[in-house]
Amino acid sequence: MDVFNFLGRTREAKARLEQHRRRLYRIAYAWTHNAALADDLVQETLAKALQKSGQLRDPNAGEAWLYSILVNCYRDHFRRRRVTEEIDENTITHESTPEKESSEQQVVLRVREAIARLSEGQRQVVTLVDIQGLSYLEVAQILNVPIGTVMSRLCRARHTLKDLLGDFAPRTAAEESKIRRIK
Amino acid sequence: MSNEEQKFSDEFINAFVDDQLTPEEKAQVYAHLSGNEALNRQICELRKVRDMVQLAYKEPPLPERGMASFAAAGRKYAVGLVAGLALVIVGGMGGWFLHQPRAPQDAAVAQVMSNPEEPAKVLFHVSDGNTEHLKSVLDDVEDLMKYYRRLHQKARVEVITNGEGLSLLLAGISPFAERIQKMQKEYHGLTFVACQNTIDRYQEELGLTAKLLPGVVTIDSGVAQIMRRQHEGWVYLQV
Repeated sequence: MDVFNFLGRTREAKARLEQHRRRLYRIAYAWTHNAALADDLVQETLAKALQKSGQLRDPNAGEAWLYSILVNCYRDHFRRRRVTEEIDENTITHESTPEKESSEQQVVLRVREAIARLSEGQRQVVTLVDIQGLSYLEVAQILNVPIGTVMSRLCRARHTLKDLLGDFAPRTAAEESKIRRIK
Repeated sequence: MSNEEQKFSDEFINAFVDDQLTPEEKAQVYAHLSGNEALNRQICELRKVRDMVQLAYKEPPLPERGMASFAAAGRKYAVGLVAGLALVIVGGMGGWFLHQPRAPQDAAVAQVMSNPEEPAKVLFHVSDGNTEHLKSVLDDVEDLMKYYRRLHQKARVEVITNGEGLSLLLAGISPFAERIQKMQKEYHGLTFVACQNTIDRYQEELGLTAKLLPGVVTIDSGVAQIMRRQHEGWVYLQV
């Protein structure tokens, strides 16, 4: 019976973890801009989480906990590699589909390029806050830095992004048509 | 007003945009919003950056080999268990895919031209149907209305709902029906707006006829309305 209990628990834990895969992937992709690497990092993160899932007492802390594992996997990966991964430009340009609005696609690509140019710390903060909508406190815990550091990195990251993406600002007419079509 | 602009640090304004402030701190920012063009612009720009980042990673490209999953790697366990899990995952992902294109785009980009001569004009955009979230929206709206009332400042406030946010205004579904009616009676400048596109989509995809709460106004498209309002100089708050 113990075996069944164990299997049952593992299966539950896996199913629970799978729910986070997409969200983790989005962040891992935003950090690496490399689909295969992002997928590997997420798989590694979830596998580690599964191993350690017994340590997790509060299920609500789950998501922040997963991101902190992802941060470690990401760090370990680049420590192992020593060489910075190149941003895979091909992956970025391949995803357009005919029905995709090309100007929207341009915005998407420009933003990803701009994000890729941020420092690692700034990129992590801005993506965790903006894409995942995590609180500053959660991000501080995930990255293991003081909350003031989160705030200043975020501030600088957005400032840089604004500068890099500034020329999208005056094109209101184009933006309006883009936004109408999103519906 | 220029020394008012110096009042908030950039970090503080970022925290406002990310909803990381206490209600009192938020009220301080609201208090300086109307008529302070520089502050409005700063907030809009920050929101715009945030919206663009969200948009950029809404649909990240997937690895060509397909995404990994425990089901694919589950060698050690009984086939039945793995198949069961795979079903859960496929079902979940299917749901995710089906759901994704319908998710409202929060990419409405803020463009505000504030004019200090006019009454305060603020629009709240609600696209999330989470009960807690809806409650905090209503709290914010109410705080703001109270604030303007204290100041004897004329104000027009619109709460525009689309996507899942529509549930705020659906009769029989909204957890805050009574509160909304009370607020409508209490504050004349306050309007709750539902997006017709979203209503049509409910009808088409789920076969549900959306019944709105009394006094709710419908407009063709929530997003278009937001754009129109912004061009008219309304302050855009995505909460």
